[in-house]
Amino acid sequence: MFDAGDDLVERIVRHLREPVRVDPALDARVMRDIDPPGSTARAHPWTWVALAAILAALLVVWPWGSAPAPEGGDRRQFVLVAPRAITVALVGDFNDWDPARTPMHATREGVWAAVVPLPPGRHRYAFLVDGAEWRADPAAPRAADDGFGAPTSVATVEAGGT
Amino acid sequence: MILVALLAVAQATAPDPRLERLDPAARPPVVQLVDSARAMGLPTESLVQRALEGAAKGAPAASIVAAVRRLAADLGRARDALGPDAVPAELDAGAAALRAGAPPAALTTLRRVRRGSLIVPLAVLADLVGSGVPADSAAAAVLALAPSIRDVELMEFRRAVERDIALGAPPATAVRVNATARTARPGRP
Repeated sequence: MFDAGDDLVERIVRHLREPVRVDPALDARVMRDIDPPGSTARAHPWTWVALAAILAALLVVWPWGSAPAPEGGDRRQFVLVAPRAITVALVGDFNDWDPARTPMHATREGVWAAVVPLPPGRHRYAFLVDGAEWRADPAAPRAADDGFGAPTSVATVEAGGT
Repeated sequence: MILVALLAVAQATAPDPRLERLDPAARPPVVQLVDSARAMGLPTESLVQRALEGAAKGAPAASIVAAVRRLAADLGRARDALGPDAVPAELDAGAAALRAGAPPAALTTLRRVRRGSLIVPLAVLADLVGSGVPADSAAAAVLALAPSIRDVELMEFRRAVERDIALGAPPATAVRVNATARTARPGRP
């Protein structure tokens, strides 16, 4: 699965798989530290306010930037292999053909990917490589030529998602 | 109340601000085409998107206007064929199928034989013709399958046909063989 750094990945996995050795007395020591005998300490009211604020912030950013699929639609992943590209953008009907809206990210060397929520329908799109070169998606049907001088691909999303 | 109504009308007739990205030579005719389509009750979003696509790709103004005009005409033909209840996404897919060369009668028949959304059958029809399958063969296959198989199976059918074509099968044969297999045993490749 990994081309480069396989040794490093294997070492990390091996390390993670090693059983964790825990001192049998750890539980007792921890409990003694957090709840000393006779302690009547209570959390300051601002602590609860701070915790509530953190919880609210987590709820706002959940699920950390991935927009949900539109009603009856689907979340689609688009992939392009472009080893020499410096930037790749996914541009189509779903982002007003604005190259700045959906930059793709290099998941591995030369493999660019983006996930977008799509409503049901037949969506036209293309990849813009290095801000200048339009490329069709080799894994998708082509749209009929409109005389724009650049290829366009098509993604179909059924009502109810895939 | 009257002020609110006037504001709503003004908002509905104001040019789409996204069209300001168009070349000054392309903008007025595109705005006019979009307004005409709206007046005819056709969906306008795909017209705007087609114009934006042309602008993003740096196409000449004449090409952008021609593409939007062609799409508006195709959307009108698609509505005639699919009926007034067709939703915008069906009209978009129907327009693509007609542009690819599918006969309007196929769209009308599809509406009659297929329950539920026609987005996928119409898109599959357009994609098959776009991949080289003769329009009549593609229409016959989709109409044969549409009453009995699900959207996801139609998509798989399209992929199988495209795979066979890529492997060297004549497009008409590829579509016929795959359609026959699925008609005989729906749900099986």
